[in-house]
Amino acid sequence: MYGGDEVSAIVVDLGSYSCKAGYAGEDAPKAVFPSAVGSIDQMEVDTEANPEKEADTQDPKNNAKPSDADKSKAYRKLYVGTQALDYRRDHMEVISPFKDGVVVDWDMVDNIWNHAFRQRLLIDPKEHPMLLAEPSINTAQQREKAAEVMFENYKVPALFLAKNAVLTSFASGRSTSLVVDSGGGSTVVAAVHDGYVLQKAVATSPIGGEFLTDCMMKSLESKGIVIKPRYSFKKKEISPGEYKIVDLDFPNTTESYRLFCTRAIAGDIKESVSRVPDSSYDEASYANVPMTSYELPDGQTIEIGADRFKVPDILFNPSLALTIPGIEGFSDPASVKGLPQMVLESINKCDVDIRRELFSSILLAGGTSSMQQLKERLEKELMEDAPQAARVKVLASGNAIERRFSVWIGGSILASLGSFQQMWFSKAEYEEHGVSYIHRKCP
Amino acid sequence: MDAKDILGLPKSAFPGSQEKKSRPPKEPQRKPDGVSREVYALTGGVLPPLMPNLEPSHLKKRPTVGKEKITWQWLPFTSSARTDSLQLYHWVRVVNGVPPTGDYAFAKYNKSVDVLKYTDEEYEKHLTDNAWSKEETDQLFELCEKFDLRFIVIADRFPSDRTVEELKSRYYSVTRKLLIARAASPEDVANHPIVKEQFNAKHETERKRALSAVLSQTKLQERKDSEILAEAKRIMESRIPSKAADEVELQGHSVVGSGEKATGVGEDVSPVTASIDAPPVIPDTSSIPANLRMQKVYLRSNALDQMLQAVSTASGRTNIHIEQMIQDLSVNLKPKVPTKAVCAEHLELRKEILTLLNLQKQMQKLTEATGSRERQHSEAPATPKRSNRDVDRPFGSDAGGFGGERTGKRDQKRKAPGRFGEPPPSPPQSKRPRKYKASD
Repeated sequence: MYGGDEVSAIVVDLGSYSCKAGYAGEDAPKAVFPSAVGSIDQMEVDTEANPEKEADTQDPKNNAKPSDADKSKAYRKLYVGTQALDYRRDHMEVISPFKDGVVVDWDMVDNIWNHAFRQRLLIDPKEHPMLLAEPSINTAQQREKAAEVMFENYKVPALFLAKNAVLTSFASGRSTSLVVDSGGGSTVVAAVHDGYVLQKAVATSPIGGEFLTDCMMKSLESKGIVIKPRYSFKKKEISPGEYKIVDLDFPNTTESYRLFCTRAIAGDIKESVSRVPDSSYDEASYANVPMTSYELPDGQTIEIGADRFKVPDILFNPSLALTIPGIEGFSDPASVKGLPQMVLESINKCDVDIRRELFSSILLAGGTSSMQQLKERLEKELMEDAPQAARVKVLASGNAIERRFSVWIGGSILASLGSFQQMWFSKAEYEEHGVSYIHRKCP
Repeated sequence: MDAKDILGLPKSAFPGSQEKKSRPPKEPQRKPDGVSREVYALTGGVLPPLMPNLEPSHLKKRPTVGKEKITWQWLPFTSSARTDSLQLYHWVRVVNGVPPTGDYAFAKYNKSVDVLKYTDEEYEKHLTDNAWSKEETDQLFELCEKFDLRFIVIADRFPSDRTVEELKSRYYSVTRKLLIARAASPEDVANHPIVKEQFNAKHETERKRALSAVLSQTKLQERKDSEILAEAKRIMESRIPSKAADEVELQGHSVVGSGEKATGVGEDVSPVTASIDAPPVIPDTSSIPANLRMQKVYLRSNALDQMLQAVSTASGRTNIHIEQMIQDLSVNLKPKVPTKAVCAEHLELRKEILTLLNLQKQMQKLTEATGSRERQHSEAPATPKRSNRDVDRPFGSDAGGFGGERTGKRDQKRKAPGRFGEPPPSPPQSKRPRKYKASD
């Protein structure tokens, strides 16, 4: 009747801001939690009598660093997941496995996956084929490492690595489109043709949701507003209905944790009040814009005016970020372009024949793309610079959930198709041909 | 439907409802008694009941379960589309405890393109090429197979920078040579599409270049084009208000034509060049009728005739006067070489002659009013007036003024049938002799 056949595959999309995991065939991921993990470095003193004994405990959570000179093992305890991170612990640093969009710490990724499978989804990975979403530009080494971890540590029966842009494209039912994925860590514009990403036409920019949150935070701080993280105060009831804020002092809280909590609040401010301006932002015209009020967790009400429009406009005009005090510039300012320029650059690198089709199917994905008026503004800017002969159409799902999870949803669709079941990279093939066979199986 | 399928229930639960269906077709022939026929017809006749009548007795019966026992089981399966023996599990509808046999239902969708594989000897014998090394050709064919001949993706993944056309032409030429080499005789493969039609890389590059030119026309250029359009339109409107609409349309054509020149569309080249002359020149030859300029190519002699028609508001008799006078000045009635300049001068001449004739008429009227003698006098001033006029014009003398006109009249009569497209002298010739008789 239709092309679906569920084999209870699991779809995991590890992004730079959040990790999404769930069953294929469903319309939203069951487990969504931050990709950042808390880690506490713990020192354990080893017995001095046995210097030859290297790291003996093979506990995957240990990051054993055997050293000859001092007989102490340093390992860290990782805390993964929303609940673990919400609880303030002394000396807990918040770190991310990603750096510039690339995974650098595979141990952390292993922990994240473990948490997703065993604590959130409550499954045994041995029984379920796994579909992983990977960045649109991914090196061969990264893919091989991911496959290795999956097969060796989790012993999955079958695996497939799919690119984010392709999955977003499938989620909207198209095999050819231009995907604008503005997620937490970065914005990636990739062209998908016939189900394959055109790697030479991918444009990236370090401006993502996190960066915009930072801008919002610094901008508010420069105006004198202090955002208190949730753990640093307590509401005490002095009389029925009236509350007083009592500051709690936790001297052992790490800076990274404090930043993490502050960012969470600033991110919420950003999501609730910001709107993309209809035309380019300039200080003068937005100086007298009416302010919106926002209530912080500690009861303080703040007024946000021009920042509502300034922060989202950074997507279109990256140099605006430099006007915010406290934001350090990009490592390579010339290469950071606004969103419309990236789209045009990407399309112009593609073959002429498909350009028209790409123009008429530009898809928006990612959390940052749910900003209000983003679609209209992007369409307007593109229509000005695009050729007359091409009809520019920016498509975005109306549902904010769908936009945020469009990569995951695409994976869910793909893994539950009947004709996809022949494409898995199985364990037998892994054992027979080795890990480099994955490049042939997952193009 | 699906729920019934899953439970194994028959599709139509109530056999009783089938009987109900036979009854409604008989109803339209009856009408209720309390209502007149016409009023009832307004409602459209009897309407089928919106709700099927459920009989309570049916509800009391239990739904009959099918004869077979249907269960759903989580069973492993293999697919012939896979090269290994991976066993995945899925839900299977099991009838009477017998799981379905046969291959995986979706295995039949595993289609791939037939990419020819060549051996090394074949390569040495037929397929060597200066621009392509063996490794590159091997890589190309590997990618072709992997990506099912999606050349745009292949070009994207190809390690060295080759254009899509180069890859395509190499692939098609190799396949072609292989087919021909492997075939027993050339006729066998002559019908194979790759053999029949050669891949024309040059044409493709040209086409793509043209397409990219069209697509890279930015909004700025289009705005400039439209500004030029508006400018020309304003000029047109200032010249001929009545014909403004037609001219704008033509300019739209011509500007589009000049824009299309960039795409190298060949068939419009000659009219385009003609009409490109038109916009800058339009202010000068504004008297060209609009309907002529609608065609991109036209004969100037035709144009002249139509111009004359348009311009001459005078009566036919005056036209004849004018023509006679032209002939007296030994100017051809229709210019021998109708270039733009000559036609313009011709029209000017006609206008001036017309003015002259009008003045003459007025003089005559004046002199008639005062008496016949003065009329004769008027002829004298008429001639010097004419000679004054003709001083600037190096045409022949007008000594044989009226007499010449009479002969001209005869000549005109003779000439009349020969002339084509000339505005015919509409009023009867009888008017003329009357005038001359009076003057005589």
